[in-house]
Amino acid sequence: MRAFYLLKGRKMTLDPRTKLLLSVFYVILVVFSYELLPLIFEWVFILLLILIAGKTKEHLRWLKAVAPMAIFFGAVVWWSSDGKSAFIAGFKLVNIASVFFAFFTSTSPEDLGNALVKAGMPYPVAFVMSVSLQFVPVMARKAGNVLDAQRSRGIPIGPGWKAVRYFHVLLIPVLIQSIRLAEELAEAMESRGFGRPGRTFLKDYKMRPADWIAVFAGLLLLAAFFLLRQC
Amino acid sequence: MHYSHTIKISSLKYSYREKTAFPVLNGIDLTAGENEYILLCGASGSGKSTLCRTLNGLIPHFYGGSLEGYVRIAGVDTTIRTVGDMLELVGMVFQNPEAQLFCSTIEHEIAFGLESLGLAPSEIKSRVRRAAEKLSIADLLHRNPHTLSDGEKQFVAIAAATALSPKLIVLDEPYANLDPSNVQRVRCALKEIRRQGVCIVIAEHRLHYTLPDVDRVAVIHDGRIVIDTPPALLLPHHVKGYGLEFPLPGYMEEKIEIPGPPPGAETVLSVENISFSKNGTPLLKDISFTLRKGECIAVLGANGAGKTTLLKHINGLYLPDKGKITLMGLDTSQKKIPELARYAGIAFQNPDSQFFMLNVRDEISAGAIALNCYDEKWINRLVDLFGLEKLLKRAPYRLSGGEKKRVAFASALAAKPAVLALDEPTAGQDTRFRCALSGFLSELTAEGIAVILVTHDLLFAKQNAHRFLLMAKGKIISEGTPGKVISDKTAMQLAGLLPAERTKNDA
Repeated sequence: MRAFYLLKGRKMTLDPRTKLLLSVFYVILVVFSYELLPLIFEWVFILLLILIAGKTKEHLRWLKAVAPMAIFFGAVVWWSSDGKSAFIAGFKLVNIASVFFAFFTSTSPEDLGNALVKAGMPYPVAFVMSVSLQFVPVMARKAGNVLDAQRSRGIPIGPGWKAVRYFHVLLIPVLIQSIRLAEELAEAMESRGFGRPGRTFLKDYKMRPADWIAVFAGLLLLAAFFLLRQC
Repeated sequence: MHYSHTIKISSLKYSYREKTAFPVLNGIDLTAGENEYILLCGASGSGKSTLCRTLNGLIPHFYGGSLEGYVRIAGVDTTIRTVGDMLELVGMVFQNPEAQLFCSTIEHEIAFGLESLGLAPSEIKSRVRRAAEKLSIADLLHRNPHTLSDGEKQFVAIAAATALSPKLIVLDEPYANLDPSNVQRVRCALKEIRRQGVCIVIAEHRLHYTLPDVDRVAVIHDGRIVIDTPPALLLPHHVKGYGLEFPLPGYMEEKIEIPGPPPGAETVLSVENISFSKNGTPLLKDISFTLRKGECIAVLGANGAGKTTLLKHINGLYLPDKGKITLMGLDTSQKKIPELARYAGIAFQNPDSQFFMLNVRDEISAGAIALNCYDEKWINRLVDLFGLEKLLKRAPYRLSGGEKKRVAFASALAAKPAVLALDEPTAGQDTRFRCALSGFLSELTAEGIAVILVTHDLLFAKQNAHRFLLMAKGKIISEGTPGKVISDKTAMQLAGLLPAERTKNDA
């Protein structure tokens, strides 16, 4: 654990690949933690990292959005086993959601895409992944516009079960607009050389000693964790 | 590499599918030298956007189709090379500000094209900085594109194109979604770019914005260039037959009489001292006005003035924090939206936000059916009024831009509301559409329907509205007859609505 504390301050300037790997290690750690105490330690660690990054407020908003899913998940587990397992299951989800948050707020879509390319993923695939994240708020706004337009016509869509039969009234315009947007974006990207071979990147990513230490420490921790579990 | 012309197009014919008897481009010949500033104008469907896309290779490489003839940019044949090869020669700026920016920061956005060229990171960084400084957007470099206004987004798109130092910049209707003050800013930026030796081709149908700036006007009609002349020699009657119009300088002072509502017409909408904030930001401050039966008022102002926010109060989509709105005697804060929608129809800016039926007839009737006030006779009247008989069986999404707008207007009127509100109805539309819309509006007001026009298209408002309401930063800063409001220069300046008329010597 001490190695992680040393790296806390440097986490934001680590290579995106390192951050990705550490996040994956963390998720593995959480998934294989079956007791409450280790899960609490793990969550507190992430909370501290988020606190240092100054993103606690956004994190709380994120947790609010994730809470229904975690509760639902916990309820399903409760139904099939007992209360304690249910709580642990829900808590695990919250834990994993928090590390997702920490990763995505400390890594820009370009950093992520470029890191994946350096790790061997073909550029178009990596790019598509990073760009889709960008457009989630845009599509949310368009969905809001659709809601306004349809309600203005008198079509009763909105929150509530009664409106479920009008769901297609929201879905179809949003889908069509996403397709249109994708076509226009493709044109713009093509015009700026998207498919051209030999592309370089604005930010240069190199694995530095700090990165290798971090990855190594993460692996060690993971190994220690599994060994301790055997005892 | 030696080449004689920056642009050389010869006998260009193109159709999006296989060869047909009526190709979209039907024999285009055009040559342009270094540093020319050319306006490509034509009505919707004339082929000007298609022609723009041949200039950087999107046609034929991205769109397919069948192309005859050739297009050479600085000696390079676009049909043989790929779009990627044309990167250092041609920069493209598209119409929709939202759909051409896709990176997480402006710095990345401008860098994207330079990354495609395979330049070293340090060179990319310095070229990005230079391009941003030239367009005075260097302070935006770390912002996310989606937090910018439409005008700023277009600036970024232009910076991204100029960063590549191309020989030619092509802009496809860049002003379509911009308000007048942003149009002015982009115009100045383009003049500056041109001064640095770049050739510019701009496709537009709002001639009064572009004629004063260019060296040359090429009018496209039915896929052919029918006029190619310096702007000084172009007169309104030359272009009238091609679906284009431009007012001569001084048109703003011209008096147009729009008959107002008959005296004693009842009030259909009353807005009393409303204020509204969202997320802590005040958007409307103490707004009051009334609307009478058969009246048409125009709400004018720049993007962000609060016009659309005001519209959404009329049918209860938003409720004011203070003040009261009475629609046909109903207090909007006491009634549900479906009840209010019966009396107020709003057609928002983007018709794509509402179509969900398989044919136009069902689409128009959908609202009326949901509100239980379907009247076959009235729907037929609307179909007749908006000229939609031939389109009834077509799918709404497959119509042209102008046709979609007409269907959207008809849908907003399906329940025969007392008030019709139109949000930027003429944005991106050509003269033919605007004339038709003027006709629809006069028929509707004659029928007793009150109309609210939200727009920054001053000319259209002048031709159709009896009264103007000028808004800036959430307040009404001037109201009254068009003549009175337009002559209040300080208010017009505040509202960001510089009069669109400029003399041809405008610098």
